[in-house]
Amino acid sequence: MTTLVAAERELAAPQAPPAGRRKGSGMNRKPRFAIAVTVAFFVLLYLPIFAVVLFSFNTKKSLTVFEGWSLRWYQAFFNDAELTESLQTSLVVAAAAMVGSVVIGVLLAFGLVRARSRLGGAANVIMLIPLITPEIVTGVASLMLFKGVGLQPSLTTLMLAQTTFSISYVTVILRARVAELNPEVEQAAMDLGATRFQALRLVTLPVMWPAIMSAAILIFTIVFDDFVLAFFTSGVDPQPLSVRIYSAIRFGIQPSINAVGTLMLVGSLVLIAIALLIPRLFGRRGNSFDLFGG
Amino acid sequence: MTHPESLPPRPARKERLWTWMLVPGTAWMSVFFVSALLLLIALSFGTTDALGNPRFGGTLDNVIGVFTPTYLRVIIRSLMYAVAASVICLVIAYPVAYAIARHGGRYKNALVALLVVPFFANYLVRMYGWQTLLSDESMLMTWLRHLGVSANFHILDTGAAVIGGLVYGYVVFMILPIYASLERMDGALIEAGRDLYGSSLRTFFTVTVPASRAGAYAGLALVFLPAMGDFISSQLLGGPDNLMVGNLIQEKFFAGQNWPLGAALTMALMVLLLICMFAYLRQTARDAKEARR
Amino acid sequence: MITETAVAERITVIDPAGATSACAVSLRRVTKSYGERTAVRELNLDIASGEFFSLLGPSGCGKTTTLRMVGGFVDPSYGEVSLHGKDVTDLPPNRRDVNTVFQSYALFDHLSVWENVAFGLRRRRVGKTEMTRRVGEMLELVQLTGRDKDKPSALSGGQRQRVALARALVNRPSVLLLDEPLAALDLKLRKAMQVELKRIQREVGITFVFVTHDQDEALTMSDRIAVMSEGKVHQCGTPEDIYERPATRFVAEFIGTANLMSGSYTGTGIELPGGVPLYTGRLDGCSIGDEVAIAVRPEKMWLSDLTPEMVQTDGILKATVYGGATTTYLFEIAPGVEVSVLEQNLHSARTEERWADGERVRIGWHAKHSLAPLT
Repeated sequence: MTTLVAAERELAAPQAPPAGRRKGSGMNRKPRFAIAVTVAFFVLLYLPIFAVVLFSFNTKKSLTVFEGWSLRWYQAFFNDAELTESLQTSLVVAAAAMVGSVVIGVLLAFGLVRARSRLGGAANVIMLIPLITPEIVTGVASLMLFKGVGLQPSLTTLMLAQTTFSISYVTVILRARVAELNPEVEQAAMDLGATRFQALRLVTLPVMWPAIMSAAILIFTIVFDDFVLAFFTSGVDPQPLSVRIYSAIRFGIQPSINAVGTLMLVGSLVLIAIALLIPRLFGRRGNSFDLFGG
Repeated sequence: MTHPESLPPRPARKERLWTWMLVPGTAWMSVFFVSALLLLIALSFGTTDALGNPRFGGTLDNVIGVFTPTYLRVIIRSLMYAVAASVICLVIAYPVAYAIARHGGRYKNALVALLVVPFFANYLVRMYGWQTLLSDESMLMTWLRHLGVSANFHILDTGAAVIGGLVYGYVVFMILPIYASLERMDGALIEAGRDLYGSSLRTFFTVTVPASRAGAYAGLALVFLPAMGDFISSQLLGGPDNLMVGNLIQEKFFAGQNWPLGAALTMALMVLLLICMFAYLRQTARDAKEARR
Repeated sequence: MITETAVAERITVIDPAGATSACAVSLRRVTKSYGERTAVRELNLDIASGEFFSLLGPSGCGKTTTLRMVGGFVDPSYGEVSLHGKDVTDLPPNRRDVNTVFQSYALFDHLSVWENVAFGLRRRRVGKTEMTRRVGEMLELVQLTGRDKDKPSALSGGQRQRVALARALVNRPSVLLLDEPLAALDLKLRKAMQVELKRIQREVGITFVFVTHDQDEALTMSDRIAVMSEGKVHQCGTPEDIYERPATRFVAEFIGTANLMSGSYTGTGIELPGGVPLYTGRLDGCSIGDEVAIAVRPEKMWLSDLTPEMVQTDGILKATVYGGATTTYLFEIAPGVEVSVLEQNLHSARTEERWADGERVRIGWHAKHSLAPLT
């Protein structure tokens, strides 16, 4: 055994680093134009957000002149029963869509990657179409469907519609992860005595878990923020938050909107941060931005 | 050589599990999406009864109705806005993606995060922010008027504002795929290009753009398609002359109560987009074939 | 310092149930087709209990597919797989008394080394005390005792390979399948692991079925080798059988180097291209005029001390290649026919080149070393 250990020790010994070729060397000239555009872009990108956040603390009702710092609009929001009810509604819908779409999406992802039947091709197409369909079309079509079977737009129809759209997102994200899995790991589990289901439960799902969590949080945020689909498929009462904001914007200025907007922004940020940190927390090496097609 | 004829094949122990996993998803999507689309198409041929309720029927009135000058004007305007927005997004996306991908260094990931964060703020709220910033009473406009700009200059209620809104809403979808392409690109290609062509600009157009065109195509698809169906930008930032197809559809379903016409308009939108998708897919397939040669 | 005997005492030698059946693994007319393509063709193999058996061949020859059919991961299109006389063809992998070491190691990254090794025992609901004992034994055997709490990502390639081995062996399967387990290791580590694997196999007494494309590996480690190509077994025998007495042209060319000389049979020998005669003596089963080929291994050829009963011919020196311990000489013995001769550098060093290029040298070999006639 000494030869073996000696050989390994030799390999583990640090090699002299290769004489410096810096990553990306030879391109030291910074493209001033591109950088200028980028800076300007980021400024413009965040401008309305700053405006919204800033004016959410405005003492006066005005949206054009900033007078002083106040939390009155946040108080107004929490005191407004309708608004808080809408917030609750949005949260419930997002949670329902998250659970439903993740469960179905995980199954679909595995099926698409591993099934060797013609159903796979059809399933793939059916799953992809919503992604290229403008939301207004999905919204209108869903409305058609519900009306066609006699359902009035309501919380239920909203949840169903959101789940449908979310399945596509979740499946696309998870499918990439499933394709990356080493099939030999599942085979090893079975080789060691696990049944197919045990193998999936003990060996495959734990590895998939960070991706599933990330997809879940991502879809929660997307559904929570969504407007167009909600607009067409939700009922008059209770209204999800995004639809309420829309009405407020359309039909009169309500500075509470700024407060709501800021809260939604912060909430989304927190969730996204969690989603991005999960892979790191679970010790998966590699770029945590893999989700975004990097 | 095929399976030897002399031997009867064994009944295969087929792995049916994965096919079963497809069933829930496919069933759900078929019920809640495919059938919805089909119903939509069916309703386009329908009518409205005396009470304003939609009825399925067999008339072509609505489909023909789509082709009236007023509606056609709106459809063409939507096309133009969407194309303009896509082009502008492209023009913005390349410098930004390039700067981050090739010069972001350690901050690359942070910059991408910074890019994506606003996307998760509510779209409506961001548009509302712009509406506030650009309204005639805002600080910006007051300041511009101080500088001597005429009192008749409005930013809101113009086509430009709508296009700007579209760009703002969707530009991130153009930046991300292009960024991904540029990030993967071999830096040596650009260096070689500089050697050959001398100027950075020429290198950019002859080397960088073609090499990243897969990302550009993806971005175009991700921007153009949703932009065509957008109605919020037009509603919040535009005026009555800047209506898009989305606004028409919305109106037919909620204010005008002419569902069959709304359905027909939606169909028209879908068909238009399908044509564009076809062209897009053909172009990417052609590209892929060339790459393989 | 763990001595070999100490380890042997602690590990029970496998005595699989039904050991009365001589064959640990039997394949009968095993075939696997993927649509138009046949990967494995009517394979018949018998692997004896306690053997170190290798499946050797180039990429795509079907050796891995065969191994997977023994393991139960691939369903044969036709034929029977038996383990110790029992037909297991329809059994899934978890119900066969076989364990596998995968080429990618396939470790469970989210579990510790200890949990990886214990996985099979847990599935069998082995009691806690016995589990701890057996896992501990295994970790000692592969020299990873201190690393039981680590995750696989913290280990080097060689260490992960040993975890994969321990994880499979701890279950005391009657047959262990190894799918090119050393392919990812670099040379020195690989050589060391070859010695280790052989030692472990001998101690534990399990039948090893080893897949490799590296003939040196197969020749050094195996009790018997099956040389495969295009889905069929060309020859099955001991390393010496394979090397010294190749049954087909493919085996002769795949294993080691062989100088191939072909021409038409003259009754007393072969007429090489250009009319150059080679007096090999009578060749059985050949008629005058037949196209025949013989092969001679480079190390069996002599350049000095030739005796009259050797087959002899002249060759023009084309090149001398110095290889440290050996020197290879390239000769042209007939138009377009080249042979290489391998000599140990017993006396000469590089600076003393015996012949200059273009010189005519006499080459000879014993007729018994002619591998002929080859199909």
